[in-house]
This record gives sequence, C-alpha cells and structure tokens, in this order.
Amino acid sequence: MQKFLNEDHLTAASLTALPKIGPKRLSTLLKYHDPQTAWAVVQGRAKPHEVVAALMQESGLGAMWRANATRDLQEQILARCKKASIHVVLYGESGYPSCLKNDLAPPAVLFYQGDLSALNARRVGMIGTRSATASGRYFASHLAFELTQNGVCIVSGLARGIDAWAHRGALRALEKTHSEEVKKSKPAFGKLAPPVGVVASGLDYVYPKEHGDLWRQVAQTGVLLSESSPGAAPEAFRFPLRNRILAALSEVLVVVESRDKGGSMITVDEAQKRDITVLAVPGSPRNIASVGTNLLVQQGCLPVVGVDDILVALGLDNRRANTASFDPRPRLSEQDAHLVAVMVGAPFSLDEFVIRTGVPLLEAAISLGRLEALGWVVNNSGWWEVIEFG
Amino acid sequence: MFASVRSATLLGVRGSRVDVEVHAGIGLPGFTVVGQPDEVCRESRDRVRAALLSAGLPWPTRRVTVNLAPTGDRKSGACLDLAIAIGLLAAQEIVSVDVLSEFAFVAELGLDGSLRPLRGATPLVLALTDRTTIVAPGNFVEARAATPSNVFCAQNLFDVVECLAGRADWQREVRDATANSNTERAGVLDMADVQGQPVARRALEIAAAGAHHLLLVGPPGAGKTMLAERLVGLLPPLTDQEAIATTMVHSSVHLESPNAGLIRHAPYRAPHHSSSMVSMVGGGTALMRPGEISLASNGVLFLDELGEFAPSVLDALRQPLEQGIVRLARARTSVVMPAKFLLVAATNPCPCGEGSPGACTCDDAARARYLRRFSGPLLDRFDLRVAVSRPKTDELVSPQRGESTADVAERVAAARELAHFRSGCANSALSREQLDLVAPLSRSAEKRLRRELENGRLTGRGYHRVRRVARTVADLDGAPDVVNDEHLNLALMMRVDLASGLRARELQF
Repeated sequence: MQKFLNEDHLTAASLTALPKIGPKRLSTLLKYHDPQTAWAVVQGRAKPHEVVAALMQESGLGAMWRANATRDLQEQILARCKKASIHVVLYGESGYPSCLKNDLAPPAVLFYQGDLSALNARRVGMIGTRSATASGRYFASHLAFELTQNGVCIVSGLARGIDAWAHRGALRALEKTHSEEVKKSKPAFGKLAPPVGVVASGLDYVYPKEHGDLWRQVAQTGVLLSESSPGAAPEAFRFPLRNRILAALSEVLVVVESRDKGGSMITVDEAQKRDITVLAVPGSPRNIASVGTNLLVQQGCLPVVGVDDILVALGLDNRRANTASFDPRPRLSEQDAHLVAVMVGAPFSLDEFVIRTGVPLLEAAISLGRLEALGWVVNNSGWWEVIEFG
Repeated sequence: MFASVRSATLLGVRGSRVDVEVHAGIGLPGFTVVGQPDEVCRESRDRVRAALLSAGLPWPTRRVTVNLAPTGDRKSGACLDLAIAIGLLAAQEIVSVDVLSEFAFVAELGLDGSLRPLRGATPLVLALTDRTTIVAPGNFVEARAATPSNVFCAQNLFDVVECLAGRADWQREVRDATANSNTERAGVLDMADVQGQPVARRALEIAAAGAHHLLLVGPPGAGKTMLAERLVGLLPPLTDQEAIATTMVHSSVHLESPNAGLIRHAPYRAPHHSSSMVSMVGGGTALMRPGEISLASNGVLFLDELGEFAPSVLDALRQPLEQGIVRLARARTSVVMPAKFLLVAATNPCPCGEGSPGACTCDDAARARYLRRFSGPLLDRFDLRVAVSRPKTDELVSPQRGESTADVAERVAAARELAHFRSGCANSALSREQLDLVAPLSRSAEKRLRRELENGRLTGRGYHRVRRVARTVADLDGAPDVVNDEHLNLALMMRVDLASGLRARELQF
C-alpha cells in the first residue's frame, strides 16, 4: 500500500513540529540538508553543515531538538495528517506553488488541505480588521462575490471580521452559480475561481472555533494553506508570519477596513516589501474602523469603490462581464434619502440620529423602522449603520 | 402576684403582639425569662433591674417568672424592656393591674431609667392600634405619624409610673412643628442637568410613566448613573397606603426615618455590586431584616454594573420582580415583605466598554462571554433596554438646558393617572387580555410587529412586553386610543438585543 506521505514529506513535517523552529531556522536546515539527513542531524546521527552547526549551538537548540526528534513525533504527525487529510509540499519540489518560489522568505514546508491548483487563478488578497462594521462586512463579501464571479481568486486569512466575510462572499458566488447550473443544466458563463485561505495555526486546529464550517468549505472548494505543523496552536507569533505568506500569494492586496495599527497593517508592510499593489477601501473619517485604510489612501494607495477598481489593478478587461451589479432594494423617498445621506459613514446610536437629523424621536423611530425594513440600515446590539450596497 | 402587660416585637417589617406575663411568687429570689427570648431579650433582666433601682423603685425579692406569650414565636430585641419593668411593678402592686389593660409599652430602658428609642417604631405601633401605646421620646414623632391618635410618650420609667397612677399627665403632643411636613423632597436631582441624550431622557419618562424596568447599556462616561439617579424624581409622591408600607420597611432597618415622619416620596436604593444575597432579598438575623429590594419598594432599585453582581443574587430578583413581594421562609419563621420596585440597571456593552462596531476592541468570544453573565430570563424582564451613547462635546458645553424634572414629572403623573383610570394598574402590569382591550394596534403597527415575530427578533413574551411599552409611549404622546406605528417603533427600538451583533446574517445577494 502506498503511504499517505512519502518519507521526505513526513520527515520535513516532523521537523516543522520541533520546538523553537521558525520558518527561518527550518529554511536554513533544509537548505543545507535534504529532509532525511536533516532529521539525522537533529537526532545527532549525522554531521551537520557548519552553518547548521552554528545554528544548533544557539542557546541549547541542538539539545532541545534532539530530545524532541523522536519516532513518536513522526507518528503523531502522520496520524494528524491522515486524520485531517493534510498534504505537504516542500520548497523546490515541482508541486510547490510557483507564486511563492521567488518570494523573499518562502516557507520551506507548506501544509495544505484541498487542491493547490486554486492558486493558478488570478489572486487578490482581501484583509481587514476583526471588529468590522456591518457596512465593511457587507462590502467585503460583495467585492469577493463579484471577483469570484470574474474568475479572480480570493486569498484571505479566515480570521474574524473582514477575512471571514470576504470568504463568505466568495463561497456564496460558488454556491449560487452551482445551484443555477443545476437548475439550468448548462455551464455558467465565465470561470469561477475557488478561494484560498492562509491560516496561522495548524490546519487541524480551527481558530477561531466558530469558523469550523468556513474552514471546511474553503478546503473543499479551494485550498487551505499553513506553514505550521498540524496541531500547532494559534500562538501570537504565527500571525505576522501568516500575513507574510498571505501578502506573497496576492497579486493585489485590498484592505477593506482597518485601524491605524494591527495585523492588516503588517500584511500591508509585507506587501509593500514585495512591491505588491495595495488598494484600500476609503471610509468615513468618523469611522474608527476606517482610520487605517484612509491613512493608506492618504499615503498614495489607490482607493477601491467598486470591483472594477480591483479588476483594473489586475489588468483585467471587465467590459464584457455580465456581472453588472444591481441593487434590489426599493428606491428611497427624497426624505429618506436625505436621512441616509446624513447618517452614512460611521455606526450611530439612536441619540446621534435624533441630534444630527433634528427629527423628533417618535418620527425618527418610524423612519429607522422603515429604512430597516427596506434594507438600508441594520441594527447590531443597539447601533445603527447605513448599508450602501444592496 | 401576677400581671400581664401588652407589648410587641419586630419580625421582618411587621410588629407582632406579645403579652409579657410576670409572676412573682414565693420561693428563692430569682428571675427567669421564658417564651423563646433571644440573647438581647434575656439581657433585659439586668437593664430592667438597674433602671428600677435608678428610678428609686424596688426590685422584687421573690421568685419571678417572666413569660413572653405566645410562647411559640421567637422574641428578639430590646423592645420588651419597658413592658417587663411595668409588669414587675404591677406584680409588686406598685402599679395598678387594672389600668394596664388600656396600655401597651414599646421602649428600651437605659440603666438610668430613661426610655430609649427603638428601630421599627412604625410597625410596632401599628401592631398595637387597639391600645394606648407608650413610646420613648425619640420614637414619638415617628409613631405619631403612623397612627396619630393613641400614642403617648414619657421621659423615663419614673414618669411612666407617675402617669399610670394619675399623678402626672402623659406627653400627648408632638412639640416639633416640622415633624409632619415632609412631603417636599430634599435634594432631588434635576433632569435639566442631563445634556443631550434625547433617547435616554425619553426612556426614563416611559419607565416612570408605565413602571417599566429599564436597562441602560452604554460606554463608561455616558451618564448612566446620572440618568438613573434622576428617575426617582419623576415618580409621583406615594399614596397614604404606600407611604405607610415604605415607612414600615425603612423604620424596621433604621433607628429613625428621614424627617421622622412618614416617607412620602419614592425611595432610591443603589446597592454596590458586591452586595450579598441576604442584603438584597432580606433575612439574615432572627429579626428577618428587610433587604434592598424591600427598602426600594415603591421606589427605584438601581443596580450599577449589572454584570458584576453575583449571578445568584441577580436570579434571586426574578420572583420578587414578578410578584411584587418577597416571601422568606426559614426553619422557625416565614415572613412576607414588600418588593414592588422599579428596577433600573446599567451595564457596559462589552468588556472594553466601547460597544460601537469598529470602535470596540473585544473579540466576539469575549463579548459573548460578557453577555452570558446576564441570564436570559433576567434580561427578558427589562421592558426597556436602551443604548446610551456618550454625549458629544458640543452637547456637553451647550448652554441650552434640558427639560426640568418638574415638567417631565407632570406628564408622567398624567400618564399614570390615565393608566390607572383605564385599567386599574400601571401599563407594565397589564394582562394579555387587557392588552387587546386597552392597547389595540393600528393596521400598520400590527404588520410591523408581525414582521418582527416572523424574522425571529421578537419572542412571544417580548411581543406582549413591547405592546405594553408601546401603550405607555402612546399615553405620553397624547394618543389614548390606538397604538400607532411610531409608538410601536420606538418601543421596539428601546428593546435593544444585546447579542444581535454577534449573530451572522444571511448574505443578501
């Protein structure tokens, strides 16, 4: 019977699971030795290359690795990979994603669930804050929906907030087209691109927990990537490293909502190091969740106000696309349109609505009730938000 | 010789009659108290002895038995001191046994023979209305306010004996002229101090008018406490019945009620979130001390930082909230105390306090954990759940003052009167049958409510609560008949679903 992972893959995967072995040390190890020898070196059975020897001298690394590099570890990794059908690809192998080959810091070992061919499509990274506004979430999923329909793959980190909503939009596009195909029994116009997820923890360690379904769906339709060994916990240091892969996989990086600091800005820095185009969705200056993106626009990033801006950045011709977006919501009366125009931007409380519009409270209640019924505003835990996109 | 003297002891917020029977007979000189006295009660032997000797009255040199009837109940406190002393004197024939049947005595004795005030004077006197009750000077004003006619007072034990013998006259009149005039409130906080915040202001008005429990949700510095403190000023003065009930509760905890007369305005209680279960619902000692919920009866109970209270304490509030009373049962006794309060609570929306999407730095799990501190059944009992936002700088520095408490209270009083005239209770207490009768919905309002029910944002219980609030909103708006769309919409908007931001929604496209 053919083994699930070949010896090289399994050994490399086990090396990844050693303590205190970051992507840098792993790369060094695998640069000077093939996986089997590297394992032997770690176990002290083979003579290390002088660079590797110097590395292993560092603060007792060699001893720590030797203690951990056991047959048990290999078996554990194998069991985990088998259980979650996690595959491994090594730097330099033919199956290794070509877009990572020439990166500044390519991961030496890459774990994946699903089909790596998803990376062959045009790729847009979509990132943003975890505490997004409803408006930001809707816009992210809307963009992802249309990009997927246009054959552009969405790369994102499966974190809470914008990340998750971008992928939800992409999955919705796949699902919708699929059901239409079944209904009409004819293929859809244009080719859809499956989503790509890049996560920080091991592929069998779902984080955040509530995204279990989303992880599974992304792995089933597209591909889920990680450079952490199976079972690795989502420790804080893994996220900036994940962000570097996310940036490296993107041809264009779109920041939907971000504060002036945070993971999204780290990804932006990584993208700028790699000369990758960064686009930002501008927001109201009042909206705290848009401070970062507005800052990016101010620094010269091109703003995104619709899917066309991204397609243009990718150099794609969108003139014949049949995805003209259509707002299904009823048109607003002049009075309501005025209210929406006054309140668009940041989330607002009922208090702010009354003060800013000058409408008496009872009338304000009825206006908001009407706008909510029509889908122009939403209420989350007492905060109202105008939704600009249908 | 035998004598029986009437007195009373305190249990919960009520007085219960006690007959102090004294028997002095032949035998070795001695003194025993029977009939379940507690420690303080037993100690009265030494107080009474010293008081008698100080007053120049004799201590019996016979075998004395004091029985506290009914013997089945436990007696607590020093309120029987005077009755025991009088009983001893009657048993020695220094006081005539015949006159005692007209009198009752409630006072503690000092060692010098002076009469000392007790807590719970109001309930004690109210338990003895069929007799002329003698109280200490310190309790006289309060006792007179409770039952004006047959309460007398004396300075010390010697005076009591003189008066009983007819050689002197009781003090019958209250000398302090300010005593009974405490209907106006001291230090009521004015709504005019609240800048901006139209929604919270209206929420207070609705809460006061319809007796709807109110939850204020907002970031630190939004003025939640300030708002809650002002709610009590909007409530109408207490009726005579309510005033007596409230005074009874406060009297049984404090030595003296404020201004020493009946409490005429709604009380405001704001216990700290470290409060124990007993301090909140009552009990504790054999006296069954009333808790904060009873002290807040007919007034406002404000729980700041609701999430910090022990969950067991919060859940203990549920039954009193429904029934308006708290029934405490212990092995020896059970008492019923009033607990008809208006519950106002304040909480932050999430651990970081900001709440607004985008500004909040908490992740969903932390927010979900925070919200789990409030049990669903408790949250459900707040008819009004209002998001309060921090006032903007412009509003804070604005010279324009808000509407004053007096103006708002006028509208509240009118709405309350209307509700009582229409259905005999506050709007929050309307039954489901009454709702259809007194709060019919307009066509559009019914449609709106149906939509809320269909998309699952309103539960069956919430449905009736929203309709009650809408009734109050309409009353305040001067629409006494049909509940309109705008009233219903406001009622719905003042019922914030704290967890709604955590739920994922279906994509629309």
